[in-house]
Amino acid sequence: MISRRIFVSLMGGIALLPGMALAEGAPAPFDNPGKVKIALVRYLSTGDFFQAYLSGVEKQAAALGVDLQVFDSRQDAALQADMVDQAIALGVQGIIIQHGLTESMKDAAQRAVAAGIKVVAFDVNVENPAIPQVEQSDRDLARLALEQAIKDQGETWTAGYVYVPGIAPLDRRDETWKEFKAKYPGITEKAMFGTMDNPIANSVANQARSVLSANPDIQVVFAPYDEFAKGVKIAVDEAGMSADVAIYSADISTADIALMREPGSSWKATAATNPAVVGEVSVRTLAQLLAGETVGASVIVPPTLITQAQLNELNISNMEELGAKLPAFVHADVSVSPWMALPAR
Amino acid sequence: MKKDFNLTDFAIRYGFLLLMLGLVIGFSVAQPAFLSARSGVFILQSVAITGILALGVTATLVVGGFDLSIGAVATSALMLSAYAMVIWDLGAVEAVLLCLAMGALVGLINGLLIVKMKVPDLLATLGMMFLLMGLQRIPTEGNSISTGMSLPGGGTATGTFSEGFLMLGRYRLDFILEDLVPLSVVFLIVIALLVWGFLELTRHGRVMYAIGSNAKAASLAGINVNGYRVLAYVISGTLASFGGILLAARLGRGDVASGNNLLLDAVAAALIGFAVLGAAKPNAFGTAIGALFVGILLQGLTMLNAPYYTQDFIKGAVLVVALVFTFALSGRNGRGRT
Repeated sequence: MISRRIFVSLMGGIALLPGMALAEGAPAPFDNPGKVKIALVRYLSTGDFFQAYLSGVEKQAAALGVDLQVFDSRQDAALQADMVDQAIALGVQGIIIQHGLTESMKDAAQRAVAAGIKVVAFDVNVENPAIPQVEQSDRDLARLALEQAIKDQGETWTAGYVYVPGIAPLDRRDETWKEFKAKYPGITEKAMFGTMDNPIANSVANQARSVLSANPDIQVVFAPYDEFAKGVKIAVDEAGMSADVAIYSADISTADIALMREPGSSWKATAATNPAVVGEVSVRTLAQLLAGETVGASVIVPPTLITQAQLNELNISNMEELGAKLPAFVHADVSVSPWMALPAR
Repeated sequence: MKKDFNLTDFAIRYGFLLLMLGLVIGFSVAQPAFLSARSGVFILQSVAITGILALGVTATLVVGGFDLSIGAVATSALMLSAYAMVIWDLGAVEAVLLCLAMGALVGLINGLLIVKMKVPDLLATLGMMFLLMGLQRIPTEGNSISTGMSLPGGGTATGTFSEGFLMLGRYRLDFILEDLVPLSVVFLIVIALLVWGFLELTRHGRVMYAIGSNAKAASLAGINVNGYRVLAYVISGTLASFGGILLAARLGRGDVASGNNLLLDAVAAALIGFAVLGAAKPNAFGTAIGALFVGILLQGLTMLNAPYYTQDFIKGAVLVVALVFTFALSGRNGRGRT
């Protein structure tokens, strides 16, 4: 008897080692995760952000041991809705909807819910109380960057602002910018510009050159999307104004880190949520739903402020090092249940 | 009656140039910073890349073809140059040669698809466009390329964009003012002169126009029609890849982009070019003026804080007016497309 008890506790101890997953016994259906099928239905996929998001989804799905199927509609709203139906037909238990249009996804999402499938939406509002929304907090992103601008530049400056209306995350960042302008009357917005023409950085650089030569007194450019910031930086460098203009932005990538760390770079700070972490949170939120746990209507992944000084001090040169040296960036303690295995770091 | 007729004729010949002059004056009054040497050079810089692509399209338009793949060729060259330098650690010269070779090869394949496989121009180059948009992403699994990036196979990329390469897009020559003229502008002007000289002054150029107006007649006159058509696509592909090289040198990284906007802007410039000096046919001078016209408009509107959608609207309006100039007005005088 004793030897048997020791044996059982030993087994328990070994089971604890690879993670908490087996220790507490994962709830159904994760007691047999190989049988769990989930689908990721994407609207946007091209670009570093979406690539990183996908890698986060894949890693967390692998850590949980579930079967992931990726549907990519490549910005075709109708096709994305069809893909939800396809996923339903395939018999998946859970669906993550990544971006898309409310109008086209609302009905499709409802059909999935009606079929008994658990659904999570990332950055798209499908107007369904059964579907939690995972969001990177765009308002917080903008707030962190702007607070750093106030800290660096004081409360009185002339600003250029890069914005394209009609894109949900940019619209939310815009709300924060408007609040800041109201809160700090010393901020004067001299020019607003922006374009989504591909390659975005090149097109924005062309615009920013015009804006800077028309308004040479601009001290701060708020460019709340890294492609915008890249474009502005090219223009600032070309105009030889690196010492006179400071750029504050949102989002980050390996290329951005290199640009921020160039000697005398005008790109001072950015606020970012790690898209891979958002991907992981999306999968974990779905897993909680599948396990029958309660999930709030919105799941917010908090952003991190990354300054030029920080990058130089910690000698960070790519996203991996950023994750390693700024732990806040690599893992968000959001939607974590004790039984879940997290991706290996 | 005669006077009226002359007025129309005058409008067709010089209307576009006068409109451009009017724009320059208008913008200068509204925003004095518009009329400075730097601003002028900057307009040229902003259209350098699309201008070079547009000159390539012009070559294919001359032989009665059309190259939809130029935007994708340009962004492929952008990715290839970044890949060559950042991941393969090659130097500037090798990277440039590799890209130009890639552009020429794509042009050659386009040309062969069209003349040997008898695929219509639009369809062959459309297929090539999609092919390249996908192909350029395969080696990096869809990621942009920059120094320090993690490689799909593990490890990080250590190569950098060489200084010499970046100079192509960033170096400025002293001309009147210090550091005034970027190299890309010099390239645009040289390439425009070369293409103009080739099309207008050489026998080859005239033969290409002959093919464009009546391929069968040209063929009966003993011209190697297929050879010249392939040549037009090779020119187009090579110029597009050169545009991509300049883009890479300006951005300093391999940016994942479809290049569709480059394609549209370049085609717009080439089509606006039909209307310049009442040419009513594709021509290098008109294409350069067309690109400049779009550049002046965008620079002026941006300086006046006009939002981006009004810029698209006005670009479209200019194109429509230019096409009306070309097809309706010129046609009435019997000087339509020959």
